[in-house]
Amino acid sequence: MKKITIDHLARVEGNGGVTATIDGKVVTDVKFNIYEGPRLIERLTVGRTPEEDVSIAPRICAICTLSHKNAVLWAMENALSVTVPRKVYLARDLMHMGEMIESHSLHIFYLALPDYVGFPNAIAMASKFAFEVKIALEMKEFGNHIMKVLSGRYIHGENPVIGGFGKFPSREEFLWIKNRAIQFMPFVYKTVSLFCELDYPDCPEDDTLYACCEPGNNEYGFWGDEILLSNGERVFRDDYMKVTNEFVVSHSYAKHSRYNGKPYSVGALARVNNLGERLKGEAGERYKKYFNQRWKRNPLFHNAAQALEILYCFEKIPQLVDEILQIPEDPPLVQYTAKEGKGTALVEAPRGLLIHHYEIEHGLVKHVDIITPTAQNAEDIERYCHLAAQKLLDEGKEDEIRDRMDLVVRAFDPCISCSAHLAQVQKAPKENWKVQLDKITSKGIPIFVGVGNLNRSDDALGINLAQKLREQGVSHVWLETELRGKGEPLENRNDQPLIFLDALDFQEEPGKVTLLPLEYVFRKASLSHKFAPFIQLLKNSEQLKNSYLLGVQPQSVKEGGNLSIRVREALDKILECLAN
Amino acid sequence: MNQEKLKIGIYELTGCAGDALLILDCEKELLDIFNAADIQSFLMAKSDNIDGELDVALVEGSVTTEREIEELKDIRKRSKLVVAIGLCATVGGIQARFLDQKEWEDHFKKVYGDVKMIHTEAVQSKPIDAYIDVDYYLPGCPIGKEQFLNFFTRFLKGNPPEKSQNPVCVTCKYNENECLLKKGILCLGPLTADGCGSVCINHNLPCVGCWGPLDVANRTSEFYLLQEQGYAVEEIKKKMANYSGSKIAGFFEKLGKEKR
Repeated sequence: MKKITIDHLARVEGNGGVTATIDGKVVTDVKFNIYEGPRLIERLTVGRTPEEDVSIAPRICAICTLSHKNAVLWAMENALSVTVPRKVYLARDLMHMGEMIESHSLHIFYLALPDYVGFPNAIAMASKFAFEVKIALEMKEFGNHIMKVLSGRYIHGENPVIGGFGKFPSREEFLWIKNRAIQFMPFVYKTVSLFCELDYPDCPEDDTLYACCEPGNNEYGFWGDEILLSNGERVFRDDYMKVTNEFVVSHSYAKHSRYNGKPYSVGALARVNNLGERLKGEAGERYKKYFNQRWKRNPLFHNAAQALEILYCFEKIPQLVDEILQIPEDPPLVQYTAKEGKGTALVEAPRGLLIHHYEIEHGLVKHVDIITPTAQNAEDIERYCHLAAQKLLDEGKEDEIRDRMDLVVRAFDPCISCSAHLAQVQKAPKENWKVQLDKITSKGIPIFVGVGNLNRSDDALGINLAQKLREQGVSHVWLETELRGKGEPLENRNDQPLIFLDALDFQEEPGKVTLLPLEYVFRKASLSHKFAPFIQLLKNSEQLKNSYLLGVQPQSVKEGGNLSIRVREALDKILECLAN
Repeated sequence: MNQEKLKIGIYELTGCAGDALLILDCEKELLDIFNAADIQSFLMAKSDNIDGELDVALVEGSVTTEREIEELKDIRKRSKLVVAIGLCATVGGIQARFLDQKEWEDHFKKVYGDVKMIHTEAVQSKPIDAYIDVDYYLPGCPIGKEQFLNFFTRFLKGNPPEKSQNPVCVTCKYNENECLLKKGILCLGPLTADGCGSVCINHNLPCVGCWGPLDVANRTSEFYLLQEQGYAVEEIKKKMANYSGSKIAGFFEKLGKEKR
């Protein structure tokens, strides 16, 4: 067994590494490790006022500080029923463009480009690419300038607050931004050509699912009320957990996400894949010129997609400024009286979909959930690194694996400090599972779904149990295989509780029975792998709330074994209980 | 001017990386910074990093895992001077708000459950001087550009930096802002170390305290003054504690119980 390790990823934001484990001719495992420690941000924000959280939450990440700011503001305003005037909306959009320009130009020129032209860093690269390095710095500075003017300072500005801005920039400051944006255009076109024409290696390439915000009105943009997936599905913001279902992995303080059991990608490449057709003007022209099938399969094109988005922003800024200046009066802060409410916001951070969710009671924040783009990308980062490592190993280029993985990880523009964020998990019910089951069945006749793999020892228990229930004449029993891809049996069944039967690894004694709300399972660590496909069968968040998992701790899930004795005993106990 | 360039390392522990990013944000000065000093290690900016002997180590972020404790001790061993940059390194940051180990563990469990991490154990967030000696402090969330460049150039010339002994209010007065406390808005200016240029008050917004507590501030007196103005005890305490870190966490426990 051999390990290829990148201890400290350089030129990414935050502290992380990658390890590939190689056994002979097979790459057995790739782990994207995050060494950045836990900060418990989602606990620090509980018990605070909405205003305090608007200040604290963006401290998660310095690079995406304004994406977090916009996300917490939209979420709080959704929760407190605050509607901001048009001028505030436009100014926030402009502020967001500043961050996109700043973050994208830092990433593509300073962090990514040195790899493709063979330099250890951008400063060394300046010997050969003096012009690019110099102007890229100016471009980044321009992005910073917009952020500073709107938010009050370069990083963690406090000027954007609930209901508006503490102080609006002056007309002159807005006009300066507009004129400067126009001056940049020749270099912006060069940027797009440079990054869209780079020679990206064709390894790794594979299909994935892309997720981003749906900006609405058939426009390109950086926030919206729905998540748009590249398979055409849409998910309303309050149901975001259907897409993200985060879980804890033991090698990282960043949680991972899967949709329907599969990794998915977010970020500029996801946005260009899902929304690129909507780009207008020069950005639209260049999209038509450069976009091809490789963009759908190759994560290295994140760099090209970011360059295209820089052009989109530079074209949009003068339009935004013009519209802002047509509204001469600076609106005062919108006041609110609400003390209760729940709100979710979907925002596109430079590196992808960012979700903030807040629940407020008696004027204080009671519950917080923040899902960051890098946490969502973590699974795909590992998968693409794995593909790349295996392909290079097959070609006898083992010595290239390290650098290629480096390239792949960096293309995702990971923001490690913000991904080491923490979703709060609900308390596991301490009650005995039998008492729980009585409570659930008293609400309605449950529908059972057996989940598992008959060839994998104790993993067969869900299917086994479902079959036995059928034999005993229990109605509404389904097997995983019968439901795959079909939601009909579960439709219009909101009033009936849904109970999934499965092996559930909670590192308990083998045979231990647990009954948990499904929502808890999705937030909690040991969620069963192939479980997520069923999330799509649930028609709405109400049904998710009425769903449960009856799990048994397996002793082994090895290929080819039988049910262990202790699990068999547990099944008998469950059958007995259900028969009554 | 033939002396050797100062060997400098910039390190990030757990935080938002805002202080390292701010150094990268010194766009106009960045090439000069890299020319004037020998930047041996700066993970966010370059990949040819060397972990050798250093004249100055700039460390950002709080100490939050066992691995970071080891890393930090190693940095100290290799460096003549260690400078804590940013709120997380100087006082522990927003994440160092929990009073004791037990409280921290409870919160940790609520977030991660019982999963055992394989690569490194988490510990309660602490500022870096909880584990090593620190020579200089550069506070701020994040540090300010002018403050950093001022500090950096002084260092290059061999002049130790000076720590500000003023609250935000001093700059705020220079900026001719109207006092928000007098307008009935809870502003933390009097308790907070100066360095930001009173940016929030310049935008009609109250100071949130992100430069960290001012050493010489009379917090007890301010607490009673605010109470007299009609603010609730818990409200004042929470606001004061948000950015205060772990060093004065015990103070809030005793606050309001002492004899006057």
